[in-house]
Amino acid sequence: MAPDAENYTFLCPPSEEEQEQEPVYRTPSHYNPRLTFHLPAGAGRHYQQQYDDMYFLRLAKLKPSVEQVAMDAWDGLIIAGEKVRRVDRVLDVRQGELCWVAGTVYMHLPMKPNILEDLSKENFTSAPPPRRTYTDPSDPSLTQIMMEDESGRLRLTGNFLQSTQLATGAVIAALGTENANGDFEVIDIKLPDLAPQLQRWEGNAPENGIEIAGKEHGKIAFVSGLGITGTSSDTLALELLTDYLLGYTGFSGNSDNSPSLGPSKISRLVIAGNSLGASVIQDIASTSSGDAAGKKAQPKKYGYDASAYNAAPITQLDNFLAEILPSIPVTLMPGEKDPANFSLPQQGIHRTMFPQARAYSAPPTRGDEKPEAGWFDSVTNPWDGDVEGWRLWGCSGQNVDDVLRYISIEGGDSSPDKDTDSDSRMRIMEAMLRWRCGVPTAPDTIWSYPYQSEDPYVIESCPHIFFAGNQPQFKTATIEGDVPLRLDGDTEMVGATDGSDAARVRLLALPKFNETGELILVDTETLEVEVVRFGVFKGQEEQK
Amino acid sequence: MDSKLYLAENVLNERRPVTYRLLSRALKVHANRAKQILFEFHRNENAKKPQTVHATYVISGIQKAPEPAPTNGHADDEDEMMQSSPYLPSSMPNQDAASDSIRTTSIVLAREEDLEDAKSTFQSISTIHVYSLQPTALPDLNVLVDANREIASTHGQEDPLECGKQWGMIQNRNVKRRTGARPPPPAAPAVKPPAAKASKPSTESTVPAKRPLQKETSSVKTEATKPDEPKSEPSSAANSQAPSKPSGKAAAPKQKGNLFSSFAKAKPKTKASAPAEPAAPSAGDVVLDDASEEEAEELFPDSTAKAAAETRENRKEREERLKKMMDDDDDDEADDEEMPDADEEPREPTPVEQPPPPKPAELKEEVTVQGGRRRGKRQVMKKKTVKDEEGYLVTREEATWESFSEDEPVPKKKPAVNVPKAKAGKAAGQGNIMSFFGKK
Repeated sequence: MAPDAENYTFLCPPSEEEQEQEPVYRTPSHYNPRLTFHLPAGAGRHYQQQYDDMYFLRLAKLKPSVEQVAMDAWDGLIIAGEKVRRVDRVLDVRQGELCWVAGTVYMHLPMKPNILEDLSKENFTSAPPPRRTYTDPSDPSLTQIMMEDESGRLRLTGNFLQSTQLATGAVIAALGTENANGDFEVIDIKLPDLAPQLQRWEGNAPENGIEIAGKEHGKIAFVSGLGITGTSSDTLALELLTDYLLGYTGFSGNSDNSPSLGPSKISRLVIAGNSLGASVIQDIASTSSGDAAGKKAQPKKYGYDASAYNAAPITQLDNFLAEILPSIPVTLMPGEKDPANFSLPQQGIHRTMFPQARAYSAPPTRGDEKPEAGWFDSVTNPWDGDVEGWRLWGCSGQNVDDVLRYISIEGGDSSPDKDTDSDSRMRIMEAMLRWRCGVPTAPDTIWSYPYQSEDPYVIESCPHIFFAGNQPQFKTATIEGDVPLRLDGDTEMVGATDGSDAARVRLLALPKFNETGELILVDTETLEVEVVRFGVFKGQEEQK
Repeated sequence: MDSKLYLAENVLNERRPVTYRLLSRALKVHANRAKQILFEFHRNENAKKPQTVHATYVISGIQKAPEPAPTNGHADDEDEMMQSSPYLPSSMPNQDAASDSIRTTSIVLAREEDLEDAKSTFQSISTIHVYSLQPTALPDLNVLVDANREIASTHGQEDPLECGKQWGMIQNRNVKRRTGARPPPPAAPAVKPPAAKASKPSTESTVPAKRPLQKETSSVKTEATKPDEPKSEPSSAANSQAPSKPSGKAAAPKQKGNLFSSFAKAKPKTKASAPAEPAAPSAGDVVLDDASEEEAEELFPDSTAKAAAETRENRKEREERLKKMMDDDDDDEADDEEMPDADEEPREPTPVEQPPPPKPAELKEEVTVQGGRRRGKRQVMKKKTVKDEEGYLVTREEATWESFSEDEPVPKKKPAVNVPKAKAGKAAGQGNIMSFFGKK
């Protein structure tokens, strides 16, 4: 292969006269972050409320939608000579009567963390240890599924539930009948299904009427789990990523053989959580637990303690951001391991953590001013906003991870097959959209801010791109909303006319960059996905 | 600098790895040209003497599908359409069945020795370029990270918005950067650039200035607050020993450096009679975002600069007056011995080490407003009675810091009252002041 080495542009000596290189310009980004998950600062943030309000609000908001869906499907339905009746409240269900009712799902699982239990054992100070699943695979009968509304609870049973998967917090309508035990035998279930979806650019039309026509294909880049630990071992892929994003790698963007590779087409980078590596936390945990006795003897230190605090990861992240920001705008979401609050919605990582990159962030706001979208935007997790006209809704992955724990995994404790695992993650993401609830298990098993007047986790407007960060493996899919069946049966016409009306959502399960080295690019015109993978070729001696 | 010279010096003599980006920064050439320079140097040197220079390459392209997972791996990333999921049977009618495979591009870094192997994993290669040169084969490629960190440390000062074009960075016309907060050098991120430097008309005028910082005015203000400080403390000056006064002026410029940050937040004291009052509302009505340490300076109205000018002349005459009083104070020390310590101040029989270094008698306050509450530290003068070498009891005032919150009333200092008293009767005046401070 050596002879054709000369064919590559860069494997040749430099030409004598230094020719002026044509500067490459990046595709501009149209960006409109939304403040759905922005909490009031300081005194406006209260933690005295009960979580009950959130469930009430969620049910109030989603019940009409799910009842509409159920009404369309079940109204006038006659099963075994009995007409199906609608019941308004869960407690109004009469024994032996075929009826349907809407409510919130509550799942009682044997391994679920229980705040009352923790309180009685007086270990209510720290976060519960993470568990792989809340179910008990050895005894599935311990799992109880209930439906509740403001009036009461109804236990759901029936074989139908074996084939379906639910999670606490989802609002559904169930068709069935109450049996002699007082349990509700479920025959069928309806979900609110995809929320109405805006057309592209409907969320924010560009102010000055910039070209909306899709003549230029841009890209939105997603990355998650950078996992910067500050040691040199993890940053080589990051360097390659930096080089690529800045255009040093060599795709000039207008070269013909790789038209889609041009990094200059990438208009924005979204970093979906866990930018810092786990070892930061582990180091601190080990130092604090390891020599706890020795610590006690020392005088208590306040503020910066160099022995317990390792600034290298955040400095490294800051360097990375400051390096790419002159060329590409960045949206940074915090994740589980990042220095932000733990409970959802996590508020943006504070700009003082980034002494260099903060120059690109928006100026701080005073009072109730609406914050301006910064070039470097440190946003909440979950986050939604409009990028290039598309509505994005994303989370750093806590939502998917937690719902996965509600699903009984076949095969007991053995780690699940990679493919089935990522398949079920995709299904969970789809289910969330169809439940119209992005984080259904908050506030039950995900810590959450006690919202009082709204439930922001309800997805009121279906996004075009729905992403979850820090998943074990990259996976993508497209889902479509239900198109109401036409009675005339002309299916071809249905496909042709409704294809554009039906909501289409691109689901993205973003892999962890520090494990896979993968950057995900989404085309801004077609929402097609491609992957750029960065890595180091392991030599033969290393492979053996 | 000549590229060959640079490479010879770094790679051959100092035996350091040089990446194309480091070369591009050091020689201020386009990154693509830097790659070619590295290639040429590698070829020429190895032609002279094989194995003197080792290279690493970056290969970009599409890897073969059934890859042996060199870096990581998921075997197939097909855009798999989900078959109707078992648990959502009612809602999966329309899956578009097209299952197009996802285009996966790989960018792989490989050693010179592994280049052919690495190439063979690729189905098609778009580019190969030299990533770095080093004198020996690298057992661990992560060493190259250090070379790139050197970019940050040695070339971190170059503004990427200006030089990016030269390096071959993708340009962005819309980049927004706040010119006020110039990123500090990465080596010392905590140190703020001096005020004078920051207020210099910044060179990046192409960037829309989002929020120019008012450093200029704030530095004037720190000057402005300075002359006022002696004024607020005539009483302390009157009571403290002679050396403290002359030093008050001499120490001021020196102090400015250390206490720069505290001055930035200190309230300008324009009125000596009510030191805290004019400042409190100005800090109190604006709830500070905890983020905005730069904004703190903007809180100060410009009027203080004017006030400073007129107080400056007052200061001269006051100084003279104080000097006279302090001459009197020298005799006071003898009197102090007989004077019964009638106050609540506990007598401290600690041995005197040295006559303490002259201290500027300046009282400062640092106030931060957090969630609508005012907290802070202020410097207060505390009486301390010690026995000196000759067995005399010496009472002297020392500035100490104490914290306070809004719950405490702001202590009223009445410096003006003390001046005539001190003149009339020294002993009486002394007692009064002591009880004043003792009661607090």
